[in-house]
This record gives sequence, C-alpha cells and structure tokens, in this order.
Amino acid sequence: MNTVRRSGNGIFSMNGREWSLLVACLLAITIFSVASPHYATSGNAVTVLRNSVELLLIGLGMTLLLAMGGIDVSIGIVMGLAAIAIGRILGADGSPFLAIVAGPMAGAVLGCVTAAVVVLGRVPAIVGTLGLLGVYRTAVFVLLGGQWLSGLPSSLTDLLSTTVLGIPVAAFAIAVAYLAVWLALRRTPYGLHLLAIGNSEEKARLSGIPVVKIRFATFVISGVLTGIAATFYVATYRNVEMTIGSTLALDAIAAVILGGTSILGGRCSLIGTVLGVLLLRILQNGLLLIGIPSLWQPVVTGVLILGVLGFEAVSNRLPLARFQRARA
Amino acid sequence: MLSHLRKVLAASALSLAVATAAHAADKHKVAFVPQLIGIPYFNAMEAGGNRAAKDLGVDFIYSGPVDTNPVDQLQIVQNLIDQGVEAISVSVLDASSIAPVVESAKAKGIKLFTSDSDAPDSGRAVYVAQATDEGLGTTIIDELVKRVGEDATIGIVSGEATASNLNAWIGFMQKEATAKYPKLKLLAPQFAGGTAERAAQISGDLMAANPDIKAIIAVASSTCPGVAQAIETAGKIGSVIGAGYCSPNTARSYLKSGAFSFTVLWDPEQLGYLTVWAGKQLIDGKSLEAENKISGLEKPATYDAAKGILLLGPPAVFTKDNVDKFNF
Repeated sequence: MNTVRRSGNGIFSMNGREWSLLVACLLAITIFSVASPHYATSGNAVTVLRNSVELLLIGLGMTLLLAMGGIDVSIGIVMGLAAIAIGRILGADGSPFLAIVAGPMAGAVLGCVTAAVVVLGRVPAIVGTLGLLGVYRTAVFVLLGGQWLSGLPSSLTDLLSTTVLGIPVAAFAIAVAYLAVWLALRRTPYGLHLLAIGNSEEKARLSGIPVVKIRFATFVISGVLTGIAATFYVATYRNVEMTIGSTLALDAIAAVILGGTSILGGRCSLIGTVLGVLLLRILQNGLLLIGIPSLWQPVVTGVLILGVLGFEAVSNRLPLARFQRARA
Repeated sequence: MLSHLRKVLAASALSLAVATAAHAADKHKVAFVPQLIGIPYFNAMEAGGNRAAKDLGVDFIYSGPVDTNPVDQLQIVQNLIDQGVEAISVSVLDASSIAPVVESAKAKGIKLFTSDSDAPDSGRAVYVAQATDEGLGTTIIDELVKRVGEDATIGIVSGEATASNLNAWIGFMQKEATAKYPKLKLLAPQFAGGTAERAAQISGDLMAANPDIKAIIAVASSTCPGVAQAIETAGKIGSVIGAGYCSPNTARSYLKSGAFSFTVLWDPEQLGYLTVWAGKQLIDGKSLEAENKISGLEKPATYDAAKGILLLGPPAVFTKDNVDKFNF
C-alpha cells in the first residue's frame, strides 16, 4: 500500500482540493466585484497581495511542519522576535542589508531552539511550541522594554519596495522560496522522507530514514522563512508593536489546512497553501469592501474551515470514495 | 489551552508582585489592572501610580493581561481580591462581565473602582476618568472638521469591539457629527483587535472602498501605527489625514511625516497618579470634593457625585508643533 501521496505531478497539475480552492477564490472575487464598485481595481489587488506576503512565507514553513506531523503555534511570536532584531538594527541607523540578513538569521536561531526542544527533547510539537509561545511572548515584552519600535527609518522599506525585472522584490522572494521548497520536495529524498515521517515516524525510523535530522532541519527551514517574513513586515509597517504576530500562527495553520495539507501529517500541497492564504486574505479584504464589519471576519474563517473539513469527512464516507480507496 | 497558559503565567507573575509588596508591611495597598501590559500608555500610568505611591506612602501593585483578553483580566482582579489588596482599580475590558467581581470585592470590604475605562452599571466605587468620553469624542470631530471641512467622509478604526471606553468615544463622535455637522459622513466603525497589521489592512481596505475618504480616526492607541502606515503605503499623505487617540511617542514620526495631522489624549502619567490618590481616599474613607486640589497634579480634579466620576481635566491636542514636549 502506498500511502505517501504528493500533490499532483507538476506545478500545474492540481488535485480536487486545489481546484475547489481556486474556484472558491474566483467565486469570491466575482461576488465582491459585483457587490462593490471599488473591489476590482488594480490598487485593491495589490493591497490583497501585499497583505498576503508574511502569511505566504510562514504558511510555507507550516506546510512542511504539518506534513511531517509537526506544528508550531509559536511561529507568529518568532516573527515578532526576528522583527525586533531587524528593528533594533534599523533604529540604530544600521545598514538595511545587515537588517535583511538579520531576519533569516534570527529565524534560523529560533528554529534551532524550537527544534532542540521538540526534536532533541522529544516533546510533542504542540506542547513544546506552546511552552515556547509563553517564553517568546515574555521575551518580546522584555526586549521591547515597554516601548514600541515605531517610526523606524525607511532605508529597508526603500530597498524592499523596488522591483527586479519588473517584479516586486516580495513576489520574487516568495517565488524563490516556493520553488526551492518544491525542488527539495520533488527532486531530493527530503520530500519522501518528510512525508514518510508524517505517515509514521516509527516506520520511517525503522526504514533507516534520518528522522531526527529531517525533523530538525524542517523546524530550522520554517524559522528561516519566518525570519524573511519578519523582514517584509518591518519594511512595510516600520513598526514593531507589543502584540506583533499574535494572530499569525493560527491564520497560517488555517490556510495550510484549507489548502489540503493534512493536520495529521503525510500529505502536503504547496499550491493549496498559496490558494488557502489568498482565499483568507481575499475574504478579509472583500467582506470589508462590501460593508460587512471586520468583527465578522474570524467567524467566516472558522466556518470555512469547518465547512471544508466537514465536507471532506462526509465525502470520504460516500460509497465512491470507499471504492476508490479499496482499489488504491 | 492558550488562554489557560496565559492565566497561569499571569497568576504566577501576580503572586510574585504581591509577595514583593508584602515585605513593606503595614502600608495600604492600591492596585491598578490595565487592559494590556507593556504598551507605553499603561507604562506611563504605572509611572504616575508609582509617583503617587511614594508621595502618599502606599504600596502600588501593577499587573495586567499580556493581551486584551477580558477573561484573563477578570482572573487577575479576582486574584488581587483573594490576596486582600485594599483598593483595586481596573481599566475595564468588558463592562458586561465585571459586576460579579465587584460583588465579591464588596463582600470582602475591598474598594473596587474603575480607571481609564468604566463599567458604569457594575456597582464600582468611583470611576477615575482621563477626560469625559463626550469631551474626547467631540474634540476629535471638531478638530477634524477644522482641517477637512464639513463635507467629508471619515473612517473609524477601533481596537476590540468590547472595549467600553472606545465604544463610548465612537458614540459621541457620531452624536457630535449628527448634531453639528449634518453633511459629515462618518463610516461605520471597524474593529482591528490589537495588532498594527490588522489595523493597516483594514485602513487600506477602507480607503479602497471609499475613494472620497478624507480622514481616518484611529480609536485605540494600538491602531495608530497601522492607520498611519496604511496612509503612507497608499501614498495618500496630504489627501487622507490620520488622527486618533494615541500617545505622542507612538504618533511622533507620523505627525512629522504628515500621515497624522493631530492626536487627542491626556497625560496618562497624571491619570495614574490620580488613580492611586483616589484609591488612598477610598481606603481612608474620605469623601471626594467637587473640586480636589492635589499637590502632585497640574490641574484640580473635579468630582461628579451623581455619576460617581472623578475627572482629570479637558483633553489635550498634540500636533507636530507641540509633540516633542511630551514623552509617553
């Protein structure tokens, strides 16, 4: 029985969940365009994409973590800590290039800390990262010393709001990150090992897969991606507030699950994560534009996840799905 | 699970604070529970409270939730009651749920009063007010009309939908607009929670949905950086002005960049002083005069016995011209 499933065979072949998400995105865009004259503008499209940058990067790491049966609920605060490092450098009128390096470096260090606790310390990921969430949150308070970093110099902003060959730097960074992870998943043993661990860590270990190494590396990769997200966050908002990143971990987990990556591990979809993030942000933006108070946005996200997972649970019990599984 | 962890952390921090305070025996204890620890605004109140404690010879305990969670806040208040702190002041997050805690304080002979954010029907001993809600609501609308004229669309971005002080200010803004400026169009308030990221997203969406928007009011101090950043990112400095209830330190760079035109507030350091002074009066069983001259404060505090409100004074307007005179 082959339970290791990768989504599709190429970038452009999509599975059922990914198609449904794409349809959902297009449907939402169509409805919002009809309902609000201000929705379908290039300015608003840029806004939605701009608002998706951090979540796309953090979601990519979360996809890998969930695929191997892990999770990181502290990831939003990890971004906050990396943002503080970047903000301190900018605040001291340091080089913006140094700030760009500092984000991923801080992310890598924090990824190592998380990996040390969860992988080396053999603590379940949800428990270990929950503990770290408390520690990191307090670290944010202590490091900021009660003062927000606000009104930071615009040197980093100027550097990252430019375009390379007509493509915004952020889009470029995201494309490179996704391509690199996709190649690692498809063209190196890493992908198979990751999903094998997600299916059954014990079986993976018995098959000679370097479980500890793979799991450690994945937490570090997630940390680096989060550090890059922090760089874009600080470049955009020029501000590090005390509550930074407090909603990001749950948003990332929501988007990744929507995208079809299994919360139990063993299955992942990069296209699904991209579409999941976009759907969340399209809904948040569109609901406000058609005049629904922002208070209701979390409800919509919650209902969406329950709907998708509920639909999946029901459809898995239908006779056709059973028949297909029996044949596979 | 997350909120439980927070409670445990908050509770342990609290018992530490109380244990430390217990060393200085025989002194009366006055506590203040803010809505959120670690932000400059409440830090300034803490500083004022400490100054008053020194002047008046009482112990001052400062402890609050690490994010704007009403349940965590009630837990902290309940802990202070259990510890036997004689006067406890609260900047209320959720006015509807504090009444039982007030009852339990009364049963133990503890003076529970509100400061900074009120719960009028809870049976609290007194409300120490920074300024009247009416004064704040009307001042911001009057100042805005001076700048953008009467024929304008204005957006409102608030923090938590349950924060009674923010909702009261919005109410008076709407009242003032209807009564004095019939042509002024105030949009329905949007709620961003505690993060700059969400406030920026919502402000960007508001500008997209209302191309004729002339100004955005940041109601919660935590939403100011987001609103300002959205105006800067959208390139709308000059065509859309930001205003709000935020501290000079938070708004300084935005006032200077032109994204913000002015902010309306009071000095929280003075408010913290007045809070501890009021706590001491309650413990001593002294009644409040209609006008109270207090040596540590700039202006006399007025007392409205019918409403049970002790008022610090009229609100202040900070612009780029006077912002550098303040540091909080």
